[in-house]
Amino acid sequence: MIDFIDYLLGGISSGAIIALMALALVLVWRSTRVVNFAQLGQAMFTTYIALTVRELTGSWFLGLIIAMAAGLVVGVIVHFLVIRPVKRLDTSGAIIATFGVLIALEALAAMVWGGDPEAFPPPINNSGYEAFGRIWPFSPYDLLVLASVVFLVLALSVVFTRTNVGLAMRASAFNPEVARLSGVRVNRMLALGWAIAGLVGAVAGVLVAPLSTLSPTSFDIFLVFAFTAAVIGGLDSLVGAVAFGIGTGLVIALVSGYSDSSNAPLVALVLLVLNLLFKPEGVFSHHKARAV
Amino acid sequence: MLRIDALSVNYGAVEALKNVSLDVPPGRVTAVIGANGAGKSTLMRTLAGLEKPLAGRVLFNDEDITGSKPEDIVRMGIALVPEGRSTIPDLTVEENLKLGGMWRTHAQRATSLTRVYALFPVLGERRHLGADTLSGGERQQLAIGRALMTGPQALLLDEPSLGLAPLIVTQILELVEHMARDSGLAVLLVEQNAATALRVAKTGIVLNLGEIVKSGPAREIAQDEELRHAYLGY
Repeated sequence: MIDFIDYLLGGISSGAIIALMALALVLVWRSTRVVNFAQLGQAMFTTYIALTVRELTGSWFLGLIIAMAAGLVVGVIVHFLVIRPVKRLDTSGAIIATFGVLIALEALAAMVWGGDPEAFPPPINNSGYEAFGRIWPFSPYDLLVLASVVFLVLALSVVFTRTNVGLAMRASAFNPEVARLSGVRVNRMLALGWAIAGLVGAVAGVLVAPLSTLSPTSFDIFLVFAFTAAVIGGLDSLVGAVAFGIGTGLVIALVSGYSDSSNAPLVALVLLVLNLLFKPEGVFSHHKARAV
Repeated sequence: MLRIDALSVNYGAVEALKNVSLDVPPGRVTAVIGANGAGKSTLMRTLAGLEKPLAGRVLFNDEDITGSKPEDIVRMGIALVPEGRSTIPDLTVEENLKLGGMWRTHAQRATSLTRVYALFPVLGERRHLGADTLSGGERQQLAIGRALMTGPQALLLDEPSLGLAPLIVTQILELVEHMARDSGLAVLLVEQNAATALRVAKTGIVLNLGEIVKSGPAREIAQDEELRHAYLGY
């Protein structure tokens, strides 16, 4: 029983980070109906930028802020330079193109920063809290991660539900033609979706880096988990992405705890297949059915 | 106010509109009637900027707006209520309304919102409910309300009667007619349901296979039996 609690506690912060990554995938899907397989490549790239800023200035926080700004910019660049031109020809082409972006970013990062894993130490203590005479697998850094994710998700939900630009973005996702007829500049809203997704991904990258190491391909495995969470949540549901992101994190922690962490991707695949078999439209989706 | 000059539009490989010219003056309803496939919706979609014309011009207050983007055309003052009650079911009633005219000032939008709720009280009562909970007639009111939120000088109504009970259609169209008269709005109404449309319209235009075959005072067109048999099928 105590093992169970330990595994769950240990899964909370990675679950929260997977939730952010899934959120980024959903933001892009909602705006342009493209699954952005380059999302975590973008996050890897901005995390390297954060690492560089941190090494130059000594400030983790400044690194985070610059990475967020870079995430916005990279998101907009990928949208305008790759997705929009390709999508004009073919939607599935745009999805393939995101793979191209992923490979290009990984190659570029290897050229700039080298291919060897680099340490990205946590900004605050990452050893577990002590209580009731034992050490729990939940650290001050885990608390920082959790607080950052909660803050970001709340801020996004306020933007989406309480502001004009949030309403314009939602309307552009649901029905671009009606949005345009209402005077919304839909193309800008789509670019903004990519930008915000880039920012969210950048935060996820900086937060997750201390939990392992940073290399051009070290985030690839998280794409599997984030994609699973986003799809099970319904791909267009922000709530679904967050809920199943955390859920996926916890399941992975339990699987890794009771068996071996190398089984985690397999379990993610099983979850995905079960979801597509029994509830293909996703748990939180607005749409009734989805082609599998 | 809105002038269409020798407009030709292709819809796919089909010549949907051939050399169509007409005027939409302020303060009244102009009705374009005709059977399915006459080119009515293509006309509306072209005016709103959703389709690009092959030839001809669209003039609004003497300015050439041919080929402008939909989001710019609505900002100039031409609002389209597309066919099929184009509300967004995932948004609330009030969100659907607030989507219209985001570029306008806060005060302008507040005034428009009050006005829409006065015109369509049922929308005010359900403002916080999802648009998917509304009936067909209420959704049509919502679609018109959203168009009014953009503060239009010209309102384009594409087949508002589709799938609605005759009594509701009459109510909505009479309301639109009053609005046109009271506030100088130019209304272009496209309808398959000719009898109802001609009752509220001042001018009637009969469209057949993309060409105007007759135009004149709505009353005359409504009484022209030959025309009715040939093009309107009743």
